[in-house]
Amino acid sequence: MLSMKAVFAGYGGGNVLQSVDLECAEQTITCIVGPNGAGKSTVLRVISGLLRPSAGEITMDGEAIGDQAPDEILRRGITQVPQSHALFPAMSVHENVLMGGYLIRKNRTLLRERLDMVKDRVPLVASRAGDHAGNLSGGQRRMVEIARCLMLDPKLILLDEPSLGLDPRSLAGVADLIHALHQEGTTVLLVEQNVRLGLGLATHGVVMEGGKVRLTGTAAAVKDDPEIASLYLGGTKAPPLNSPPAGQGTETTSV
Amino acid sequence: MTQFLQAVVLGLLIGGVYALMASGLTLIFGVMRIINIAQGAFLILVAMITWWLWHETGIDPILASVITAPLMFGFGWVVHRLLISRVSGESSSMSILLTFGFAMVIEGVLDITAGNRFRSATPSYFDESFRIGSVSLPKAQVFGFLAAVLVLAALYYVLTRTWTGRAIRAATQNPSGAALVGVGAAGTAALAFALGSATTGVGGSILSVLYPFFPASHYDWISRLLGIVVLGGMGSLPGALIGAGILGLAETLTATYGSLSWSTLVFYVVIMVVLLIRPQGLFGARLREDAA
Repeated sequence: MLSMKAVFAGYGGGNVLQSVDLECAEQTITCIVGPNGAGKSTVLRVISGLLRPSAGEITMDGEAIGDQAPDEILRRGITQVPQSHALFPAMSVHENVLMGGYLIRKNRTLLRERLDMVKDRVPLVASRAGDHAGNLSGGQRRMVEIARCLMLDPKLILLDEPSLGLDPRSLAGVADLIHALHQEGTTVLLVEQNVRLGLGLATHGVVMEGGKVRLTGTAAAVKDDPEIASLYLGGTKAPPLNSPPAGQGTETTSV
Repeated sequence: MTQFLQAVVLGLLIGGVYALMASGLTLIFGVMRIINIAQGAFLILVAMITWWLWHETGIDPILASVITAPLMFGFGWVVHRLLISRVSGESSSMSILLTFGFAMVIEGVLDITAGNRFRSATPSYFDESFRIGSVSLPKAQVFGFLAAVLVLAALYYVLTRTWTGRAIRAATQNPSGAALVGVGAAGTAALAFALGSATTGVGGSILSVLYPFFPASHYDWISRLLGIVVLGGMGSLPGALIGAGILGLAETLTATYGSLSWSTLVFYVVIMVVLLIRPQGLFGARLREDAA
């Protein structure tokens, strides 16, 4: 579905990405992990067109998208939810989600259908419709951000650190939503600092370091890689797949 | 008491007109983070065009905004494409220098073509008044106020009920968030600049009736407008409305109970006091970082 070949990209002069190769097959959840500064978020920015690659090739369903503007890439069904501050704080939740359909604004019927679909999907959009997005909690904001990106019925969703700053309960909600989207056939590419959570959710894993891809494989294989286990999971052996992420034990969380 | 009531009514009437004039400045700043110093010169340019239309054809000067507003919309769009877009992304001092220079060009052109003398459009009603009890309402001020309110209401409608307006608000509140949903930065900026310029198309026509003007009057006007938007909070439309009301009142009350020559000083005092005490203004547009 999405493929990056020998992609270089960076900000003003130096290249953060040093010949990155990446593949996302249809209906997979691919999780990119790696230390700060590895270039994880840059990969997402390059795909969504916010940053233009200086070299290399990016294709979506076989067509080159590397030199396209962000709105053209959106039209191809690729939407991005950035790390934070993606919403319009002084607009209502309803308007924020509506803005997600900016590109289909001329087709009112489709817009209404999508809005109903998103309300079904993320009940918060209906229950807090009139509230200003700036007044929502971090978890609620993240749900609205994801809801907004669903307005274009994306084929590929790029999620940058969906767990960032979320309490365990919100985190579970976000993870459930990602899982459900995947079940329905959406392809997801996510970047996650919380390696346990990210790889637990994903079908495939990518390890990045210093702007390069160091390791790719199924999520389980990446998780079981001894080096990854010792670097990111705090031990030489990976925990069983069904164990809750660190600090996210549902039994101890009173809600 | 009558004197006080009279001052308050006049203050609110003129405040409405100030609000319209300042709305364009704050709209442009909100979307582009550019302080259009030429906004005052746009007003004087429109006042001059209006005066000329009125003088040549006898058209009502305030109604002439039906012609000048679309004209300024197009003018603003072209100015953005040819000039303003070149400094987008540069430091704000660049845009201040550019728009200040452009204001001087407009002043120079008006000086050469129209001459350096005071003008004022004087339609038949310009020295007539409505009377409510003991309070008199100058007709020109009432008509100017009504035109301003009408245009502000239209602007509010465009900003809150149309996709163009939503895109402008989205780009104001969060430029990168707007890009993520497909709102193009360049197109939105051009539209906001054109809309902001169109407000001077109405504001300048009203000005031509209410105030005598000459090419260099724009320094005085941009100072007033800056006072209003600094008080209200740069980039905030409600702030511009409230700031305009407060300063309109302050001006007429100072003129009534102090002296006319002190009343224009009010604007400069307000700029200084606001910058010292509350630099973000009453409704300071929250930056992305503190908007959470």
